[in-house]
Amino acid sequence: MKIVMCVKETPSTTAEKRFGADMRLERRKEDAIINPFDEYSIEEGLRQQEKHGGETIVLSMGPATATDTIRKALAMGADRGVLVSDPALAGSDAVATARVLAAALQKIGFDLVLFGSAAADAYGGIVPSAVAEFLGLPLLSFATKLDEDGTTAKIERQAEVGYNTVETQTPALVSVMKSINEPRYPSMKGIMQSKKKTIDTMSLADLGIESGTVGAGASGEKALSAEKITTQRKGEIYMGNDGAAERVVAFLVEQKVL
Amino acid sequence: MDFSLSDEQEMIRDMCREFAEEEIKPRAEELDRTGAFPYYIVRKMANLGLLGLPFPEEYGGAGADFLSYCLALEEIGRGDASVGITMEAHTSLGATPFYLFGTEEQKQQYLVPLARGEQLWAFGLTEPNAGSDSAGTETRAVKSNGVWHINGAKNFITNAGTDMTGGVTITAVTGRQSDGHKQITNFIVPQGTPGYLIGNPYHKMGWKASDTRPLSFEDCQVPDANRLGDEGDGFRQFMSILNAGRIAIAALSVGLAQACLDESLKYSRERQQFGRPIAAFQTIQFKLADMATEIELARNMYYKAAWLHMEGRPYTREASMAKLFASETAKRCADQAVQIHGGYGFMDEYPVSRFWRNVKVHEIGEGTSEVQRILIYKNL
Ligand SMILES: Cc1cc2nc3c(=O)[nH]c(=O)nc-3n(C[C@H](O)[C@H](O)[C@H](O)COP(=O)(O)OP(=O)(O)OC[C@H]3O[C@@H](n4cnc5c(N)ncnc54)[C@H](O)[C@@H]3O)c2cc1C
Repeated sequence: MKIVMCVKETPSTTAEKRFGADMRLERRKEDAIINPFDEYSIEEGLRQQEKHGGETIVLSMGPATATDTIRKALAMGADRGVLVSDPALAGSDAVATARVLAAALQKIGFDLVLFGSAAADAYGGIVPSAVAEFLGLPLLSFATKLDEDGTTAKIERQAEVGYNTVETQTPALVSVMKSINEPRYPSMKGIMQSKKKTIDTMSLADLGIESGTVGAGASGEKALSAEKITTQRKGEIYMGNDGAAERVVAFLVEQKVL
Repeated sequence: MDFSLSDEQEMIRDMCREFAEEEIKPRAEELDRTGAFPYYIVRKMANLGLLGLPFPEEYGGAGADFLSYCLALEEIGRGDASVGITMEAHTSLGATPFYLFGTEEQKQQYLVPLARGEQLWAFGLTEPNAGSDSAGTETRAVKSNGVWHINGAKNFITNAGTDMTGGVTITAVTGRQSDGHKQITNFIVPQGTPGYLIGNPYHKMGWKASDTRPLSFEDCQVPDANRLGDEGDGFRQFMSILNAGRIAIAALSVGLAQACLDESLKYSRERQQFGRPIAAFQTIQFKLADMATEIELARNMYYKAAWLHMEGRPYTREASMAKLFASETAKRCADQAVQIHGGYGFMDEYPVSRFWRNVKVHEIGEGTSEVQRILIYKNL
């Protein structure tokens, strides 16, 4: 079984976000981490491999330095990496990204493709379904549990209340929720071995994609402005002896906690 | 000159930082309060290969270099010093002697399970009458019919009595050298050897969740196969083990000092007095700047000592300098951290009070500050 996990390099969630004049997020190498949502898809891929054998491949589209991020996934245990990198890709929106990932996936070949449910930079969450659309394959989205037996993939899909069970033939694409597993830490041996694993780099030419169909120019999505969200959380504090306890109880009853 | 770390070193450091943040820090207060040995954390560390970092893969280790091990210790120690010293005593004092001085058979039998983290191991040098004066060892081992009979006592021995401990390596006097000095030989004493008695854990001021015990040997018998290295080679062996161990203690101290700075930065930016955060006062800013400067210096010193060690160059003086400066830096940082926290720093709810209690022993264990200064002077 060939399992491909798609990962994205994102700025650390605690890093200060700055935008360039073109309203694109400035990405600093020091702040780069694996998109935290992707740790769950990497973990799920590794678990499926532990059950069924086969090969795990980490696929990423990003700048040349994104090999560091792929390397981290390799340290967790994935077998090899593929980086799609090309100057012409800069500014690609979700659909352009999906076009590229779909082409790379076709080139690599797969039985199962795993995604995180979103990326922690823009929280778009549409790449998995767009990739599925380009490939003409089913996407099982928002999986909280995945069973795969070589011919079918079955998930529990998070619903507003409880879950739905969804099943499809493989090859298939699955996006996973954080509750699906607990990602492992890379082991020391994993880290030491990661350097010896291969990361292949593919350009747009390697994928047979015209550079005019991707990148900023071909992207329909444009950021016009960006501003800081300020959330104001308002706590209520009851103090003193004059009925504070009663007011807390009344509040809890009102919230149907008690 | 190149100050950059390798990719592996950076990844190991980052992974340990994350592990300490998520798995150790949230439990540190409870560990300190109960003094319970952190089996849960130590077993997790074992599974991740953190207990055999600097040993080759063929012996169950991760095959990382000595600096990687120190970087890991700094981060683990930043999470909690008790967990850090458990890892340090196991790796530097427990497992390293097998790696450096063991026969192939001893490496297979002892080092492999230690490097894999299936067992912990202790190193017993200190005695009631032989502390700084480690050559003053009184524990004796006498050979008769190919069996060594050991009698004596050790104290303050880390990792000696946990459920995971496989045994202890001890120094014992086996005769006199031609110059009249005691001849010291090292012996492997597995847990459960008749005559090897492990005392109750001490009640300590800090490092509370680490396991520290007195040991005694009453006609404890081990075969000659349990001798580590040649007869009379014990002194040279533990000097070299302690030398490298000092770099590791320096790394651990930098981790503790960094934790002091982390907490102080956070607190001073939150705590308001006179209508603004106390970090807005220059007096507090200067304390923070001094802490950060000394920490960076201490870190660079242990990096350098580790590098000399990895290069196979002499490093005794630099190891002592690193240990001395890092432990005293950590002490000053802990002191200022409590000061910056004011009365809250004196309360157990704030981690800095724990840091203040933990830090003292960094100036004592693996050679006191006085001993480090003696060693540095001797190498001038
Ligand atoms: C928590 C803990 C864990 C430990 N773990 C281990 C372990 O795993 N294995 C092990 O073998 N040991 C261990 N030790 C022992 C530790 O290494 C010794 O405590 C240390 O070396 C000091 O010895 P001492 O306590 O006997 O003090 P002493 O040697 O009695 O020193 C008392 C004071 O006299 C000073 N002094 C001594 N000689 C001189 C001199 N020549 N010139 C100037 N000043 C001097 C010392 O610096 C110190 O200030 C541990 C200790 C502690 C507290």
